[in-house]
Amino acid sequence: MNWRAQTIFVTGATGFIGGRVCERLFQAGVPKVRALVHSMHRAARIARLPVELCSGDLMNRESLRSALGDAGIVIHCGLGPAASIVRGTENMLAVAHAAGVERFIHISTAAVCGITPPPGSEREDAPLRRTGDAYCDNKAATEKVVLDYGRRGLPVVILRPSIVWGPYSAWNTRLMDDLRAGHVAFIEGGRGACNTTYVDNLIDAMVLGLENDAALNQAFFVTDGERVTWGDFIHAHMAIVKPTPEVGEVSREEIEASRGKAPGLLIGSMKATARVARSKEFRQMLMEVPVTEAAMKKAWTWLNSLPSEKRERLRARLGVRRPVAQAAQPKFIPDPVTVATQSATVFFSIEKARKLIGYKPRIHFADGMRLVEHWMRFAGYV
Amino acid sequence: MKTPIRLAILGCGAITRSEHIPAVTAHPSVELIALVDAELSRAQGLIRNRSLSCQAVADYHEILGQVDAVINALPNHLHFIGNQECLNAGLHVLCEKPLAITAADSRASTELAEQKKLVLAVGMNRRFAASHPLLKLILEDGLLGTVRDYDFQYGGAFDWRSASGFYFDRAKAGGGALMDFGVHMLDSVLDWFGPVSWFDYQDDDWGSGIEANMLLDVKHKGRFGEIAGHLQVSRTFSLKNRLLVGGSAASAEISTQDLEVVVIHRPLAGVPVSQTMQFEDFPGAKSYYRQLDNFVTSIVNGTKPEVDGWQAVRTLELVENCYAHKRRIAEPWSEIEMTENEARA
Repeated sequence: MNWRAQTIFVTGATGFIGGRVCERLFQAGVPKVRALVHSMHRAARIARLPVELCSGDLMNRESLRSALGDAGIVIHCGLGPAASIVRGTENMLAVAHAAGVERFIHISTAAVCGITPPPGSEREDAPLRRTGDAYCDNKAATEKVVLDYGRRGLPVVILRPSIVWGPYSAWNTRLMDDLRAGHVAFIEGGRGACNTTYVDNLIDAMVLGLENDAALNQAFFVTDGERVTWGDFIHAHMAIVKPTPEVGEVSREEIEASRGKAPGLLIGSMKATARVARSKEFRQMLMEVPVTEAAMKKAWTWLNSLPSEKRERLRARLGVRRPVAQAAQPKFIPDPVTVATQSATVFFSIEKARKLIGYKPRIHFADGMRLVEHWMRFAGYV
Repeated sequence: MKTPIRLAILGCGAITRSEHIPAVTAHPSVELIALVDAELSRAQGLIRNRSLSCQAVADYHEILGQVDAVINALPNHLHFIGNQECLNAGLHVLCEKPLAITAADSRASTELAEQKKLVLAVGMNRRFAASHPLLKLILEDGLLGTVRDYDFQYGGAFDWRSASGFYFDRAKAGGGALMDFGVHMLDSVLDWFGPVSWFDYQDDDWGSGIEANMLLDVKHKGRFGEIAGHLQVSRTFSLKNRLLVGGSAASAEISTQDLEVVVIHRPLAGVPVSQTMQFEDFPGAKSYYRQLDNFVTSIVNGTKPEVDGWQAVRTLELVENCYAHKRRIAEPWSEIEMTENEARA
């Protein structure tokens, strides 16, 4: 198909992957790109491109019909909250099918196999089982809906990237922040399979999915094709943080022992509530309420009027900042999701993508890290 | 002119909601007559939620005969037409920045205000934070020694929830990061350090005219001699969010976290120390209230406002020059070699 002459519709366009898709389509000279934007204020990165910013919501079919316009291709990177993943994609599929879209590229995830994929899930033909994780299970359920639309005649392609990294990726920026905060550990020596997917390699696979009919109704794992471990990934970031952070090792026994000390229901709930109350998202929601907005602003002005020493003491008591003088920190133990993610033993195979659509990762891990470092220097992370 | 000044606010977007209404309702010499918004329900909703006793109207032409002054907080592309019509109706105007999206339109409004002997003030609220006049005094006092350079950064994930979303439309916004926040920074540095004699401007606009990042190097030639400046604005990631002015004896820092103080960094017997400076007596109100108060005082006493139209013209001329001579920021992380498939496209 001549995808280059088509209008291309990108969902999730204000996100990390969708944003880079818009950039690459512009660089490739695609004449018209329509970007689905749920929260307009988040569109600063793609607003610098001559793409059409189309307001819409994956949960509202009418808005999708209007946003899709005359697009002949959909690249679906949109997600939304875990509970809406299936419904949102189903809405997009229905609208695309009715509009006679010629290709629907669905960005799934290797996490359909679970956060810690079981041995035997290296290839796409391994059956998907329920994992108990809402994100993984919903993404897996979504694939079934996509394939169902494929059987009904919508030309669909499913791509399953894993740890999608590159400039703007939270996998990179969060790790830098965590390294500086001392919140990183090598779990079991950092031997876990990282399954990196450099964002431009993923976009190469999308382009191949548009080009090749052999891709239709198929799901493909897409990674960088290198056996990068979490230890490699962490070391590569440590090398660009100055001063070089110290990262300790943590064993499975230590992790299990620390879980035994987890706070009880009451204390745990109180601590979690305090964390929510302090979170940026919650504060933003509160600011939507006029009376709270006024009260928060008064409180902020008052806080800022205090002498800095008193202000810091108050913040420390509220848990916003740690007190300056503090006892030695206990050994850092990563949270359960990080432990599960970094304990993977499965390296996904990209043989199917190689054979059927000619996928060959262009950006190798070391090259990708150089690009990330360039960007991080520009963005002030380094 | 007698007080209270009868005032209308044009545009009920984010800035009106968060700043102008609290300032106006707190000011003893201002009577709020109307909130104006093309989407009438927005004005009505604000009046209801804030328990205001003013009218809601959809078209400002309806209230031109009922007020003495307006705050023009319409989307950028409507600033000019709103200013012209209000000035022609004999009203004083406090216009949100930018005064217009071109220097020529800003000049036309400024000349019209002069001709009509009306106050045309420009919303540069940062001028009314204590740190602005404080740094001026520090520079004049010579506390920093010979001032050599400055570094001015402001950045964070863009989160301005404008009601109309005009900011990503070049025709309506007039530009991106430079036009939006850059004008605040340029207005300040032009006021502190004098006119710009040289500049080099780069941004990351890929064709929409709405840059997310900008870098500007300048040289000022003013009363403190030649000063080199570096300005950076980002809508995509956090920067240091501060101004640091370097001098031969000390440096001065203004953080966006606290615009009411200036921190002086200098060596004391060779040991680096810092000292927070603030006015002993400065009105405790917010900068938007002080800005409104300055507007009201200018109307009542017939004096020039702190930020008049000519200062906005000067800033917008520099903005236009930057856009006219811009270079693309090098983004090696984005400009990777294309695949064969893409190259064919």
